[in-house]
Amino acid sequence: MNSFVYVTYIQATPQKVWDAITKPDVTRQFWMHTNDSDWKAGSDWRHTRLDGDTVDVQGKVLESDPPKRLIISWFAPHKAANPELHSRVQFDISEHKPGIARLEVSHTDLQPDVLNGVSIGWPQVLSNMKSLLETGKAASMW
Amino acid sequence: MAGSSFVYVTYIRSPREKVWEALTKPEYQKIYWFGGYQESTWKAGAEWKMFMPEHGLTDSGEILESDPPNRIVIKWRNEFRPNLKEEGYARCVMELAQEADLTKLTITHTIDKENSQFIQAVSGGWPRILSSLQSYLETGRAHGDTRAPAEAKK
Repeated sequence: MNSFVYVTYIQATPQKVWDAITKPDVTRQFWMHTNDSDWKAGSDWRHTRLDGDTVDVQGKVLESDPPKRLIISWFAPHKAANPELHSRVQFDISEHKPGIARLEVSHTDLQPDVLNGVSIGWPQVLSNMKSLLETGKAASMW
Repeated sequence: MAGSSFVYVTYIRSPREKVWEALTKPEYQKIYWFGGYQESTWKAGAEWKMFMPEHGLTDSGEILESDPPNRIVIKWRNEFRPNLKEEGYARCVMELAQEADLTKLTITHTIDKENSQFIQAVSGGWPRILSSLQSYLETGRAHGDTRAPAEAKK
């Protein structure tokens, strides 16, 4: 099965990086979606457009250890009944050195068509997250 | 596909010309590349050499293609770690594309060898270098040396 891994270093604390992934008010500024959940293991999560209605991706919180590790399942809503089509995203956040966080996103169990999309999407999203956390501004092109 | 490869894409809020300049001028490289720098005229056929403060010459090769500010292709071999040097020449393609106020920078590093230790080494290095480059161009503040202590000594 396919996987995609992306590592980035951000001048921020691990908590700020965690918040950027999990807090709608931050996420909406660089991802054009919000990630909605209470982020407890076993809970559902939803990747929702800014219209507040359209869910593009959803899944379960599989593991949650703020601000260090989050593991979620990831699939389009129409694939909910087909677990064999569900992928998995693991976020690992650490303090690489004082003032610099290391974020590794590992997206695994990917079907080929999903691999293509996320290989384009993650670099855009994570570059934009870095811009937002370091400069206070993100691009709005996506 | 035979061989090994590493691909990294980053989007930098800076014009393509500025990103090109930062990639090719030693005074900028030293700021975000852990103090290292490269010597070349960046014209096709030119020699290319990389130096790190603690090692001197670390990598060398040749510019295979150069199309400022769009694309550079470097024939690239490590020179100071014997296990990497014996893998021979790799190929590094740097592509810059302007997308609105962002530059999309794509680095594709490939070698004609399965399970390449060289590609494994650069896979750790590029995210550190390119994260620092993005910070430098967007905020004026690079990351400093983000290598692990053991890596810096190697």
